[in-house]
Amino acid sequence: MYILENAFNNVLRNKGRNILIGAILFAVIVTAVIALMINTTTSSIIENYKGRFGSEIRLEPNMEKVRDEAMKNSTDGMVRVTVPSIPAENYIAFSESEYLQGSIMTASAGVICDSITSVDAELGGGSGMMMMGGGAGIEASENTPMQFMMSLQGNKLAEFEAGTRELASGEMPDELNECIVSTDLAESNDIQIGDSFTFTGELRDMAEGIVQPTSYTLTVVGTYYDVTDEYAEGSAQNAFTNRRNEIITTYDTVVQEIQSGMNGIKVAATYYLKNPELLDEFAAEVYSKGLPETFDVTTDKATYNKIVGPVEGLKGVAIMFMSVVLVFGGVIIALLASIAIRERKYEIGVLRAMGMKKTKVAFGLWSEMLLITLLCLVAGLGTGRLLAQPVTDALLAGQIEAAEAAQDEQQSNGGMMLRMPQQDTAADAEPLSDIDLSLGLDTMLQIIGIALVLASLAGLISISRITKYEPIKILMERN
Amino acid sequence: MNVLTVNNISYQYEGSKKNVLKGISAGFEAGKVYTLVGKSGSGKSTMLSLISGLDICKNGEILYKDADLRVIDRDKYRARDIGVIFQSYNLLTNVTAVQNIVLSLHISKAPEKDKKSFAYSLLEKVGIDRETADRPVLKLSGGEQQRVGIARAISHNPDMIIADEPTGNLDRDTEAEILKIFINLAHSENKCVIIVTHSKKVSEIADVIYGISDGKIAFHKQLPIEKNS
Ligand SMILES: Nc1ncnc2c1ncn2[C@@H]1O[C@H](COP(=O)(O)OP(=O)(O)OP(=O)(O)O)[C@@H](O)[C@H]1O
Ligand SMILES: [Mg+2]
Repeated sequence: MYILENAFNNVLRNKGRNILIGAILFAVIVTAVIALMINTTTSSIIENYKGRFGSEIRLEPNMEKVRDEAMKNSTDGMVRVTVPSIPAENYIAFSESEYLQGSIMTASAGVICDSITSVDAELGGGSGMMMMGGGAGIEASENTPMQFMMSLQGNKLAEFEAGTRELASGEMPDELNECIVSTDLAESNDIQIGDSFTFTGELRDMAEGIVQPTSYTLTVVGTYYDVTDEYAEGSAQNAFTNRRNEIITTYDTVVQEIQSGMNGIKVAATYYLKNPELLDEFAAEVYSKGLPETFDVTTDKATYNKIVGPVEGLKGVAIMFMSVVLVFGGVIIALLASIAIRERKYEIGVLRAMGMKKTKVAFGLWSEMLLITLLCLVAGLGTGRLLAQPVTDALLAGQIEAAEAAQDEQQSNGGMMLRMPQQDTAADAEPLSDIDLSLGLDTMLQIIGIALVLASLAGLISISRITKYEPIKILMERN
Repeated sequence: MNVLTVNNISYQYEGSKKNVLKGISAGFEAGKVYTLVGKSGSGKSTMLSLISGLDICKNGEILYKDADLRVIDRDKYRARDIGVIFQSYNLLTNVTAVQNIVLSLHISKAPEKDKKSFAYSLLEKVGIDRETADRPVLKLSGGEQQRVGIARAISHNPDMIIADEPTGNLDRDTEAEILKIFINLAHSENKCVIIVTHSKKVSEIADVIYGISDGKIAFHKQLPIEKNS
């Protein structure tokens, strides 16, 4: 008991030195509080998004490979780049993988309809193919692809989930040959629920030059509000690519006209892995089941990176900063402690000469350190909590800015990059721009742990030094 | 029977070749005052350090009540069995005089309940008033520090009091008073008192004088015990 009392008095007595040690401890603790708060919060955010995006698989054509392939196959100097598609049967085969917890299939096809005037009809239609190379325009021949004015979208419900589309009247398509149209399209054409329309399209085999007409007779069962961008960023602007002209129907409806080996109906699937680590296994399986090498099997890294990248950056900065401060703080405290012991050698010698046991002397020194630490802990936790949010906001804003700058640079360098239209990628994803920090019990315990380790480090150094000396030697060194 | 027996001890300081003590033997009994005399550098303080258990001797042995100092708990021995007055006082300089005594009482687990007022009364006995007792040791004169050292040495009522030049910084009157305390401790309270001194006057109050020269006992003089105190 008297040792604690003595320690307390000593803390008050040696103000100068203790304020110095205290200031360093305080700085370390404040940094640790901020860094750990950022770390725990960002970790759970990252974990959450990893679960969401890390397990969502995309089979995306690698446009570079597609172009190379098309150039190789070109015979007449005109390179036709068709966005490649995967046969529907393959998509279904892939979905049976044991690595998946589930899958969502979508299908789309370009169509025209004589009795509906598309939004932006004056811009003409599109073929869903991209032309490259020396060819001057499209020859009006047998081979000219049909210019679609609308598209059928089977089971394309992502926008409804995201909230950019919403059912305006009627109901969602459920049965075969049911569809809904955008309110824009419905209003300009006076489409009523219950109306039926015939849509026609075509399938073609580019290599053989075979063209096959398709026909759908669909009943309108509802309309939807649409606040998506009319055109996907970077896509050609025509009636076909205008998203108001998307006729939403079921997957089965679109694929009923599909024919093996023929292009024209685009099937896509989103697969959900049982866990993100199974990506490589799944990729190997789908390639062996016939996925062309021109496709990449990826998770939605771009979106993930855009949303979570700055948060990951923030976490990295926080951890780095804390490590540096911990190491430096530890070294400085260790130095101060050993200097303090040297200064106090005489005092320790006197105590030892008076018969105080080494363990008690050590306990006294450790108590002094602990008292300072406790004071700093209280002050540091409070200050750290106050500072954490503004510091986080500032750091995160910096990270987002840096990420955007990096992206802009990438875009301006990517002149030759082919962009796929209607690809809902990172473009519309917004990075997380605010994080609500909270100081959990875990974090608090970690900080207390860190503080105690630092205090004990100083204590240990003191103890190891004083145990080296016999009292007579300490006292002798004074004379 | 000896309280303390020194058997043929030798000592050399770490890192020094010189033998400071070269086979010293002496016995110390309860109820007597001993003085150690000898030239400066002859090894008196060194011998006291060994007797005080601050270090152990490499050769020979020191027995406290038949127990070898190398074996016993020397911390406890210093805290409870002996009281040492150092030549250079060795007080805690940044705390007050009275706190020095209180701390010593705590370390020796002294029975007094009110350690502080007991400490004040002890200091008063050696001529330190309350105002002086409440000053940090750093702000006391040499003589005052010496008296605080004496008070600390006797505070826990040890069997042996070991003093290195305890009156070197005191005036004649105070010296006489302090010596009276020592004699009283030996003759009335049956303590064993060992005093190192240069002063002939001090050495003559002893019951036994040991003369040390060049690390050896040069002479040993038993004086007739005067009963006049
Ligand atoms: N720490 C030390 N290291 C090495 N030699 C030492 C040390 N302390 C003392 N000595 C030497 O040991 C010898 C005895 O010293 P000691 O202090 O015991 O003498 P002393 O008899 O007490 O002298 P004084 O009357 O001056 O106090 C001296 O020669 C001294 O130089
Ligand atoms: Mg001496």
